[in-house]
Amino acid sequence: MIRALALSLCLATPALADFPETVRDHILPGYAGLATATQDLADVSAQSCDPQDLRPAYHAAFDAWMGVQHLRFGPVEQGGLGLAIAYWPDPKGSGRRAQMAILTGDADVLEPARFAEQSVAARGLFALERLLYPNAELPADPCPLIRATTADLARIAGVVYAGWEDGYAETLLTAGEAGNTTYLTRPEARQALFTQLATALEFTDDTRLGRPLGSFTRPRPERAEALASGRPLRNILLSLQAQRAMVETLTPDAPHTIAAFDHAIAVGEALDDPLLAGVAEPESRLKVEILQQAIEALRQTVLSELGPELDVGIGFNAADGD
Amino acid sequence: MTTRRAFLAGLAMASLPRLTWADVGNPAFLAAAKSASGFVLHGLSQQGQSLFELPLPARGHAACAHPTRALAVAFARRPGTFALVIDCASGAVLHRLDPPEGRHFNGHGVFSADGALLMTSELVAETSAGRIGLWDASDFRRIGEWDSGGIGPHDIKLLADGRLVVANGGIQTTPNGRTELNIETMRPNLTLLSEGTIVDRAELAPEYHQNSIRHLALMPDAIAFAMQWHGDPADPVPLLGLWKPGETPELCPAPEAMGLAMKGYAGSIAATTDRIAVTSAPGGLVMVFDAKGAPLASHFRADLCGIAAMGDDFIATDGLGASWHLGEERLTLLGKQPVAWDNHLIALG
Repeated sequence: MIRALALSLCLATPALADFPETVRDHILPGYAGLATATQDLADVSAQSCDPQDLRPAYHAAFDAWMGVQHLRFGPVEQGGLGLAIAYWPDPKGSGRRAQMAILTGDADVLEPARFAEQSVAARGLFALERLLYPNAELPADPCPLIRATTADLARIAGVVYAGWEDGYAETLLTAGEAGNTTYLTRPEARQALFTQLATALEFTDDTRLGRPLGSFTRPRPERAEALASGRPLRNILLSLQAQRAMVETLTPDAPHTIAAFDHAIAVGEALDDPLLAGVAEPESRLKVEILQQAIEALRQTVLSELGPELDVGIGFNAADGD
Repeated sequence: MTTRRAFLAGLAMASLPRLTWADVGNPAFLAAAKSASGFVLHGLSQQGQSLFELPLPARGHAACAHPTRALAVAFARRPGTFALVIDCASGAVLHRLDPPEGRHFNGHGVFSADGALLMTSELVAETSAGRIGLWDASDFRRIGEWDSGGIGPHDIKLLADGRLVVANGGIQTTPNGRTELNIETMRPNLTLLSEGTIVDRAELAPEYHQNSIRHLALMPDAIAFAMQWHGDPADPVPLLGLWKPGETPELCPAPEAMGLAMKGYAGSIAATTDRIAVTSAPGGLVMVFDAKGAPLASHFRADLCGIAAMGDDFIATDGLGASWHLGEERLTLLGKQPVAWDNHLIALG
């Protein structure tokens, strides 16, 4: 209703925030940043395979990924490219197994076209983390595999960015126009973006926090995300910040949602536990649980305020199947 | 869409005591939906256009159609307390079926080939033990029940030889709700019944005991089944299987990079003679496999769930109101209506 009113009263005024702004100000710059950061990482690895030299570029690339990892639709969805960038969690350790086979196997597999066909679990940022932060001595010189992995990451990020720039951005921007059979209406475009937010918050809640929290009697600190490189809390904060920024591009009218993001981010920033190791002790565990509760409350606010503001909700079937 | 009123006016002259499907425009499919006016049941043409809309008292799930008469039975979503026998011409509810005391409907049912018997998927509310309810289709009296061969039956399908296959999902729930009680110990199975006697039963390998077998589609020489994973969501398990009675069920993995795309959830399944399509609303996609269960393609569309075979292709519906033709290459839009199509699209005939 507010949207219809605004449309009728201020036809001459461009909307301050709606899904086209999300495409231009959030999605495209985010993927451009990922493409640049992963190319930088590949360039650094071409010069040196010393983990000390590579770690800053690895973190920069991972940070860039956290700026867009909540977007799981469009080009990143094709052929599982998102998983090839970041395969986590991997409860059965299939990535490590496949990666060690590559490390000790035939070097021909490292050739770019062949490497792109290897298991998604053996590629991407988490695979690189195992080489830059090994928990045991590696069975072979990792340098060629580091270079293959970083080159593959840069290639995928380039494919995803090009996919947006050369097609999918237009698909989203022309939602509801004749001939667009992906987004039949403009609300469908908003719904797609809204779904990304709701799903990503659920992932942070259930997986980034839920996996290390485990249960009170069986906490699982070793299951935190990107633990070896010290990123468990950093990933949560970066993902919250990226999603908050996305909401600001989507609408100027979700004050409770923004406040709930600010609250969750403040709780996370006050948590002096970058590895979430505190889940194993009752007192420090409580602080992690408070962060989880703040994110759960944030998700509820997104559903109750942002959804109606955008005139969308979780899909009828997706929300409640059988 | 023809409104029911206009539709009835057109039919008035042709009104006969027992109308056939031809009299109601030969709908090809039935689908439950949510519309602005509430929960409804639609009859759809081959092109996915609505031919009629009938009100339901609460959210529906699946439906089944009488083989000859223009009768549909619409099942409530589980735990189901009603099933409505609807005259698809007049919209009149001819019978309201109530499960016997202490039983619930579970969303699916099927008529015998001659249309004389209606079989309904049910459970004992207290224990979730499965039952197949039997109803005389001449007057829809309850005439008996069979043991379904497992816990929490969901979809049931009639084989060409008259035997009934049951997807016993394995999940025990609270008596009047959907809260799951036995996820750690659940053991779904496929059960084959002949006149109520269990003639075959197949379980999954132990590591897949949390893969709830929920929906079925018939292939020329196998039963395709779709599952919903209740184990670790990070574990990319197969959600499609094929069963030839007498043999061990065979699971059909998705391509590795797509192993998590369905989010552990297959919502509906349909099969042609040479392809199988499985949808996931949470994943927003349909995955297509060949008759041996090898993956062929994936097509994305938000909240896609209902799917049915139509000739060599498929028709799919989504929660945003769109209906789609799924050919070998792509999803092609057929139409969009102001409803949210519910879980299932049921093919008639």
